[in-house]
Amino acid sequence: MIKIKNLSCGYNKIAVVDNISTDISECSFIGIIGKNGAGKTTLLKSLSGLLKPYSGNIFINGTDIYKMKRNLLAKKLSFLPQNMPIDFPFIVKDFIMFGRFPHMNFFKYALKEDYKKIEEIMDFTETKEFAERSILELSGGERQKVLIAQTLAQETDIIAFDEPTSHLDIGSQSSIFRLLRILNIEHKKTIITTIHDLNAAGEFCSNLILMDKGTIFKSGTPTEVLNYKDIETVYNTTVVVKTNPVSNKPVVIPVFSDNK
Amino acid sequence: MKNNLPLKLVIMIILFILAFVFSMLSGAGDISFVQMLKALFSNADENTLIIINKIRLPRFILAVVAGAGLASSGCIFQGILRNPLADPFTLGISGGSAFGASIAFALGLSAIGWIYIPMCAFIGAIIAIFLVYALNIKKGFDSNSMILSGVVASYIFSAMVMLIFAILSSDKLFSAFMWLMGNLSSFDERLLMPVSIVIIIGILILCLFGNLINVITLGEQKASSLGINTARTVKYIFLLSSLITASAVSCCGVIGFVGLMMPHIMRKIVGNDHRVLIPLSAFAGAIFLPVCDTLSKTLLAPVEMPVGVLTSIVGGLFFIILLLKPGRKFAL
Repeated sequence: MIKIKNLSCGYNKIAVVDNISTDISECSFIGIIGKNGAGKTTLLKSLSGLLKPYSGNIFINGTDIYKMKRNLLAKKLSFLPQNMPIDFPFIVKDFIMFGRFPHMNFFKYALKEDYKKIEEIMDFTETKEFAERSILELSGGERQKVLIAQTLAQETDIIAFDEPTSHLDIGSQSSIFRLLRILNIEHKKTIITTIHDLNAAGEFCSNLILMDKGTIFKSGTPTEVLNYKDIETVYNTTVVVKTNPVSNKPVVIPVFSDNK
Repeated sequence: MKNNLPLKLVIMIILFILAFVFSMLSGAGDISFVQMLKALFSNADENTLIIINKIRLPRFILAVVAGAGLASSGCIFQGILRNPLADPFTLGISGGSAFGASIAFALGLSAIGWIYIPMCAFIGAIIAIFLVYALNIKKGFDSNSMILSGVVASYIFSAMVMLIFAILSSDKLFSAFMWLMGNLSSFDERLLMPVSIVIIIGILILCLFGNLINVITLGEQKASSLGINTARTVKYIFLLSSLITASAVSCCGVIGFVGLMMPHIMRKIVGNDHRVLIPLSAFAGAIFLPVCDTLSKTLLAPVEMPVGVLTSIVGGLFFIILLLKPGRKFAL
């Protein structure tokens, strides 16, 4: 379980996340939503161990993550940044292998079990067909799957994603969210992701955290959080909330009228 | 890409042997292949012995070591700075050593003792390294700020070199100028041992960090979430590869393009896994620089051209060909 207690963090001494407390239970699928600049990514980075808080603590199973050894944290929690630089044309299977880094010995050479693990993950993420290609030659959707595969290679119980489907088409988006759902339900991973698409958030997440101005505006199940009043207040735009006829999950439709 | 590593390694070993024989046989004084073998392994007439064992062999070793050092540190800078166009000099190291050497020439220290020019060049390089280091402590060794501070340091040092040149008398000017162009002919043999030890041990240590550098190319956030203290690691790798560069530069001057071109070629041939790439880039540099050095001795004989001029011309042509090649995107 992750416990966030009175967390404040930010950049250059300016708090972007302001005194947040919340609990994230095991095996949940958390979506962090909110406007641009609400502090979603900052919160995610801080709870991934990448941004030391100004005050407050983050505990994983009772241990403060900022008092943990980095290499130990890397075996409990993995993180996929949004704009990860890929400057060299690595071969896809080598690239996925980098995710095994925290599990490797001092010389950081891959062993048989690492190769086996990578095979499994490539099957699971459907990345095997381009295993031998350069990562720079892949399409956006394919590349994102490879990045997820690399993150999975880290074999952690908690996985944090920063906008894993931004600028992907709806087909690639659903296939990635389906992967995350299987990870969550069948492999019992705790998944925490920031997400802009409210409908995908409603469809796939078990709980949502709606952030506004560095604080938690509301959290709960998608049906509780995605109501037109709260969404209109936070996003400052008019919306209609309907129910998806297939999944019975809430669907948010922005209304563009000239009356306002 | 089929990665036929053993075959590629064998080809490189053959090329290395050819480079060795070429270096031993070229130059003033006719020496045959048999004479060379005799001089190396048993005994030969005194003249041949001196030429091979006292002149050509040490110079070949220096070229091998310097080439390996420049190429491997270039490869590492490209990795930690996440920039395929970085080279050992991007971080201002050559600027610093040029400045140090120029001061030594201006003060006439070269006449006092052999050690002063390489020593001042080395000190200059160390000053440049610490300037970049100090500028980046607060910035957490982020690649952009490192490149920027390196480029700034280079400009400041080269301005100061120009200033020294402007007030230097013409005889000193010429020897300083030849040094700056990169030159293996004027080194002192006593330097060979310490410089070789520093560079070879440095390369061996850096070879262990191949996978670490792979992960660092994924950016600070990913590397940190894979359990690495990124800023600290980049700092140590930067200091170690800078030391290699500084050692190479202090005894053979500024030799351009080796550190940029060799890793580039090897990235194409063996891929981008730095565990393989670092040692093989070093190997490629160890072949390329002796060949260039021998050519620079013989092409315009009896005049010897600075080897840095030759490597820069070859390197420049190489990148022009890359640019002209249709279809493929430039770089990598």
